[in-house]
This record gives sequence, C-alpha cells and structure tokens, in this order.
Amino acid sequence: MNTRPIHLTVNNQGYEVLVPEDATLLELLREEIGLTGTKEGCGAGECGACTVILNGKPVNSCLVMALECEGASVRTIEGENADGELSDLQKAFIEHNAFQCGFCTPGMIMSARALLDTNPDPTHDEIKEAMEGNLCRCTGYEAIIAAIEAVGGIQK
Amino acid sequence: MPGFLQPTTLEEAFALLDGKGETRFLAGGTDLLVLLRLGAISCDNVMDVKRIPELSTLRLTDETLEIGAAWTCNQILAAPEVGSEYAPLRQASAALANSLLRNRATLVGNICNASPGGDMLPACLVLEGSVVAASSRGERTIALKDFFTGVKKNVLKPDEIVLRTVFPRTQGRGTYLKKKRIHGHDLAQVSVAGFYADDGHLRLALGAVAITPLLLDFGVIPAAELPARRTEIIEAVAAAAKPITDVRASREYRLAMGRLFTERIIDGLIDGSLGLAEDRPCTTPAREAVTA
Repeated sequence: MNTRPIHLTVNNQGYEVLVPEDATLLELLREEIGLTGTKEGCGAGECGACTVILNGKPVNSCLVMALECEGASVRTIEGENADGELSDLQKAFIEHNAFQCGFCTPGMIMSARALLDTNPDPTHDEIKEAMEGNLCRCTGYEAIIAAIEAVGGIQK
Repeated sequence: MPGFLQPTTLEEAFALLDGKGETRFLAGGTDLLVLLRLGAISCDNVMDVKRIPELSTLRLTDETLEIGAAWTCNQILAAPEVGSEYAPLRQASAALANSLLRNRATLVGNICNASPGGDMLPACLVLEGSVVAASSRGERTIALKDFFTGVKKNVLKPDEIVLRTVFPRTQGRGTYLKKKRIHGHDLAQVSVAGFYADDGHLRLALGAVAITPLLLDFGVIPAAELPARRTEIIEAVAAAAKPITDVRASREYRLAMGRLFTERIIDGLIDGSLGLAEDRPCTTPAREAVTA
C-alpha cells in the first residue's frame, strides 16, 4: 500500500506523518501518532467509541480517511488534560460514576466537549441528542448525562 | 484496499476517472467506508470529492434552492437558506442516524446510495428535487422521481459526479415521519413524507415499502376537498406500498405504519395542525401500539 505525507494538528500540536492511503483517522491517531486514548469499538460508525473532534465537529474517526485530514485540527481525549490536570468533564465523570469499564468514555467525553463548546448550558434533551451516537454497555446513560449537566451548570 | 484520489477541480476529477478502473465517490463516507471494510463492495479507487469547489456551495435564488454535494445533514440544518418551507428536508436531515453521523453524512450521498430506506429520499421527492450530474461530456439534470432504479441502484453513469441537489422555491406545509427500532441508530422501518403546496398540489412519498422510494403525486386538491378525498388518498398510498419482511420490520407492520403516517399527514393538513414551522422530526415513540 502506498503511503503519503499528511500535515495536521492534534491537540494543538503539529504533526507531519506518513500514512497508508487506506488508513482511517482512527488508525492515524493510534498507530502513527501513538494516541491510543481514542478507542475502536464497532469500526462501523455505530458505537461512537472512536469519537474525536475534527475541525470543531464530533465525528466517528473510524469513518474518516486519514488523507481527508490534510491541514485539519483534531482534538482527542488526550487533549482534555493537556496541562496535566483532569478537565472539568473528566472530573465530573468520576464524581458522577459515569463509567465502569471506561471503553466508551473517551468518545463520550469528546462528544460532550463538542456540545459544550458550542452550547455551554445545554438542556437535558440537547445532551441526549448530542450523545445519541455514543453507546455505553455497562453504566447506562443517566450518570453520563448528569455529569455533562453538572459541567453545563444546570441546577436540578 | 483501493487507491485514494483527491482532486481539487472538476477537470482534474474527470481526468482521474479516465481509464483508471472503477472509482467510488467519497463524500461523508458513512456508507462507503463501512461497505468497503466489510468487503461488501470493492473498487479500484476511492475519490474524495469534497475539495472540488462546485460541490461546496449552497445557494438560494429566486427560482431554486441548490445544495452542493459536500453539504452534510447537520450543515443543512444550520443553513438559514433552508427555511421552514422545506420542513420535510429539515426533518429528514434531523432524523438521519445520529448527530455524529450527521456531521459527516451528506444529502447527496444519501440520495446516491439509493437505499429504499434512506431518510432524505422521500423528503426530496415531495419537494420535487433533482440532481445535477457532471462528466467530461457535460452536465445533465435528473429529476429524482426518475433517479432510483432499484435497491441501491440509480441512473448515474460510472463517470458522473453529482454536483448538487436542486429544489424549486416553494411555499406550503409538509413533514417527514419515520418509524425506526432504535433512536439514533436505524434506517427507517417505514417513512412517509408529505408536502401540500399553497397552490393545493399534494405529494406524498414513502420509504422502505418497495425497492425504490415511492412518490405519489395527487395533483391539485383544493383544501376544501381534502376531507372528502381523505379515504381515497389513504387507500391510494396503501395500494402503492409493496413492502417485504426483513430484519427491521414485517411486511404487515410496514403496511400498518405507512397507513397510520399517511392518515396523520392528511388529518394534519385538514385540521391545520400540520404547520409551516415544524423543525424537528415527528418521530413517534418506538413502542407505540398498532391500532390500525
């Protein structure tokens, strides 16, 4: 398989990487750049475990070709504690017991982050809609939504 | 896996298509990449068309609304040009899969994929949509009522790139109703779009009840005549639907829900509850009892 160079920004750090033509953004992040916080679940856009923020929009990175991302800005779960401290969302997920096995959590947090970036005080229904594409098989969704509501500043 | 092509002009795209084997077009990739990975389809090249400027425009003129092939469902929902008079289109955009996928999935991709259960298809049909396709031989406009030929089949030639979807400017009342098994993760078990133009022209379209989406054009029916023709319209829709039983629903369930949705649309037009400014999908609860 041919490889090609690609330039992109991940968590505010610039990268120039050689990637196979058929690589996905998920594979670029995990295999080429070494950011393994983003998980592969279904590999078919069903589960949302691989969610990252691509140019400001949350997407399934398993369904984005790496070479589509020339010049792109990507944010992953590793960007949440870039300064060495857990982010507000990460702390809220811990406080609300919003994960058990944790496999879906990086994707959950990236979808939530993208929502809060554009809508800092979302309603319960807006949170549910934004999180529709992220599946959790152990915790259920109430604790996850509660964690996001807490960061959004919603008073119950 | 196929090679990856990424032209930045139409001319470059046409040149890349010439003699290079079978090429599949990548817009959102939400169907294409899944099918390639599964091995359900194969091709020599994948062509990312999103860097071609002609595919990235959205334009509202005095006569038409034109939506470029690179426009995603969520972009369409955020576009002020796509107003409430295009309610079926907006509601179908909001009903397609989930927000993550809507950030990638495109209107034109959904049309070209030509799944009988594709959300955008009935909505586009009742709004008299057409697509403009281009090749090295020139451009042609294809009305969507003549576009679909079978399950995941359409009239496009292998070297034709769809540039945009075009809708006439319109005024009227419309909606898109979708039944699905799981909120956020399913194609339609059955879907019905309806649009009643201010001049009295009534169009209904159904998804997932035949090998292609079905358009039923009832012509002009004055509002005062709708109550008297209610049964005739509903029976015409029921007679046209030829669903099968598959993993998503039984034939009988599809027939019952198709009829129910049709009744809701016609009754909403008669009693005025089906208004102009419905911006959200009118999905009904998944566990709703069948009361046909």
